[in-house]
Amino acid sequence: MRRFITFLSIVLCPLSFVLAQSTFEEANAAYADGRYADAAAQYQAMIDETPDAVLYYNLGNAQFKQGELAQAILNYERALRLRPNYPDAKYNLAFAQSRITDNIVEQDFFLSAWARAIRNNLHERTWLILSISLFLLALVGILLFLLGREPWLRKTAFHIAWIALLFSLTAGLNAGSLHKRDTLRNEAIITQGVVNAKSSPDRSGTDLFTLHEGTKVTIRETLGEWCNIRVGNNEGWIKQQNMERI
Amino acid sequence: MYKKVSILFLFVGMALTGFADDVVFKASAPGQVIVGKPFQLTYTVNQRSRDFRAPEFTDFDVLSGPYTSTSSSTSFVNGRRTSSFEQTYTFMVMAQRAGTFTIGPATVKVDGNQVQSNGVRIQVLPEDQQPAQQQGGQASQTSSTSQSSQSSASSQTASENLFVRTIVSKTKVHEQEALMLTYKLYFANVDVAQLTNNTKLPEFTGFLKQEFDQGEIQTELEHYNGRNYRTATLYRTILYPQHSGEIKIDPARFEAVLRVQTQQRVRSIFDDFFGTYTNVTKTLTAPGVTVHVSALPGGKPAGFSGGVGKFTLTPSISQTELQANEAVTIKLDISGAGNMKLLKTPAIDWPEGFEPYDPKVTNNFNASAAGVSGTKSIEYLAIPRSAGEYTIPAVKFSYFDIDEKAYKTLSTPEYTIHVKRGANESSVAGGQQSAVVSYTQKEDIKQLGTDIRYIDTKDLGKNRQQAAISYQFIWLWYVVPFVLAVIILIVLRKQIKENADMNRVRYKRANKVAQKRLKAAAAALKANDANTFYAAIETAAWSYLSDRLSIPTADLNKENIASLLRQKGVSDTLIADVMNVLSTAEFARYAPSTDHAMDDLFAATTNLINNLEDQKI
Repeated sequence: MRRFITFLSIVLCPLSFVLAQSTFEEANAAYADGRYADAAAQYQAMIDETPDAVLYYNLGNAQFKQGELAQAILNYERALRLRPNYPDAKYNLAFAQSRITDNIVEQDFFLSAWARAIRNNLHERTWLILSISLFLLALVGILLFLLGREPWLRKTAFHIAWIALLFSLTAGLNAGSLHKRDTLRNEAIITQGVVNAKSSPDRSGTDLFTLHEGTKVTIRETLGEWCNIRVGNNEGWIKQQNMERI
Repeated sequence: MYKKVSILFLFVGMALTGFADDVVFKASAPGQVIVGKPFQLTYTVNQRSRDFRAPEFTDFDVLSGPYTSTSSSTSFVNGRRTSSFEQTYTFMVMAQRAGTFTIGPATVKVDGNQVQSNGVRIQVLPEDQQPAQQQGGQASQTSSTSQSSQSSASSQTASENLFVRTIVSKTKVHEQEALMLTYKLYFANVDVAQLTNNTKLPEFTGFLKQEFDQGEIQTELEHYNGRNYRTATLYRTILYPQHSGEIKIDPARFEAVLRVQTQQRVRSIFDDFFGTYTNVTKTLTAPGVTVHVSALPGGKPAGFSGGVGKFTLTPSISQTELQANEAVTIKLDISGAGNMKLLKTPAIDWPEGFEPYDPKVTNNFNASAAGVSGTKSIEYLAIPRSAGEYTIPAVKFSYFDIDEKAYKTLSTPEYTIHVKRGANESSVAGGQQSAVVSYTQKEDIKQLGTDIRYIDTKDLGKNRQQAAISYQFIWLWYVVPFVLAVIILIVLRKQIKENADMNRVRYKRANKVAQKRLKAAAAALKANDANTFYAAIETAAWSYLSDRLSIPTADLNKENIASLLRQKGVSDTLIADVMNVLSTAEFARYAPSTDHAMDDLFAATTNLINNLEDQKI
């Protein structure tokens, strides 16, 4: 029985891939014809089966062409989650972001902004592998330092060891940070045209500031249908239905 | 035949041409009559009729009638002919007793159809009482006692025969509650020719005045203080008190012209015929009134803006599903009675993203004795600029209900508006249509290049979403190699120890070894064995420096030694001594010299090693 299932999966796997490939080409043709709504629906259906960076990117393009700016930004972001180094997605994301109303100026220290940019450049898995490899390298360096007889070897091994250890730690922290981001899903895109952030999770709360669709916010806390969000230096409460998590 | 007859009638041009008009059959009688005094009751029909049937007169005596009369007229105005016909049935009737009675409708037949007239409601006033009784019934406030007495002394113009009353509908009101003030002229047994324009109304300070159409002055009969007077309303107004307390309305002044029969002797028949009357001007003063105004109770609701009366609110919205950049209109109809003029327009708190316009207010007010009533329509127009779902909060309108003496709050429902993406908006975001529209100038064609990049058509499946990395066992990747490394180190700890200790051991044993070699040198010195002596001295010096400075034998030379010593802060004289000893020993080994030189070298070497030991290099 088990053998049969294995056989089935071996046979069906390429089959499903072929099917997916044909749907993909169909969707691409719809996009090329300018039937963006059709293309978007087909990409979405494929994403529901197996999410893929390319599908998210293409879906984002189809939505952008239909004027759904917030959804397009959301899907570019999702594409970049799966494939951090995706130049087309990065370009189109920046293009879409230039169309949104809110101009969010991050008030972070420039080093932390750099650190985040570096972190977002690689996949979590890549960072983890990098961290482990560097740790192994550091161990080898330590062994060489302790066991080596030649002073130059010992000296070189010592320097390699501490540098590798430092980078391993950084890579590990990056991986952990990405893991936290992807499991908590605490980043969201505003989907409502205009939404007011309140001072409390309550409709009667004072309106603190206004956000427009397409703006990326960080969710800090969730209370019922309300989320405490942070944008730049502003913090406030917004209903969950007004945004979508990346 | 019939046609011909009618043509004939047309030629005659009589009132019969009004055949097709509606039949109007109307009863008319004075509104007020006095017991025992006959009056006319008239039934008028505008077409030829027959078979008139009078109603039953239960409370009235028919003195005579019905007298039937007809009249017709034809007139040409601007080439248009209008004609009228009237048939009148007249009764002389007298009331039997005081009260209000209704005379039922009469019927008449027009063209075989029975037509019914309206009923007539008649107020029957009692007969005049004796003047003596009249004095006792005078009310203080509304009496005519304040009337000026300096005018004509004629008994015909005595104050009880002619006066103006100030009538207020209420003397105890709330703030902003409407009250009606009427100046009414009463006269009996005098002939009022006209009223002059010399009228002085009070200022009505403390009130907001709402004027309304006075209409024509009509006289009515009214029984007042036991007498029947003819009355005429001179002036009416609606007043809204603006503050609480006792507000006094000053007296008003009117001037009437009376026709008074002269007391002169009749000279001729012509005098009598043309009238022996003179016009006398008389000033009439209406008394002042004090109105007690009570403040509105506390606990005013938040939305209260001064409305007092009784209102209803009818809200409506033009549409709740629309596209961006389409207008949405919310209409509020505030209808009712009260100080409508002072009602403030409630504000709608439009959500962000709506572009509101100034509300359009349409007032349709009627002034009446009950105050101003009517409808205030407010149209709020706003245009949503972006798509989304918006909630327009309820608009609250609070007022003070005069009947229930309590605040009432009316509210519109909360409206939820779905704004779809407008056609214009999507083209702007899509960047295609707008590019066509706005980039038509040639120098801007380069700008067309700014669009998103095309879809990816080949990399499918390369970057699938993978299951989240489980961090449960990731730590093993760090711990296992670390443990392995530790095991390796433990296994090879002897080697590490040796590696670590080699230099230290040599360093520690340097002095001991040197002293041992120096002893051998001393023995050789005694034995006068120059070769052994120099060899021992040289070895002692070199090996001591080698151990002390941890220089491997391969790198051992004078330059290394000198530079290392300098690094360790040894003085230049001592370094010179070291160099000197080393070169002397080297030199003497191949060119043996005197005993004396051997002694000196031994002493110098011993001294040098002791000095270096002291330096703790």
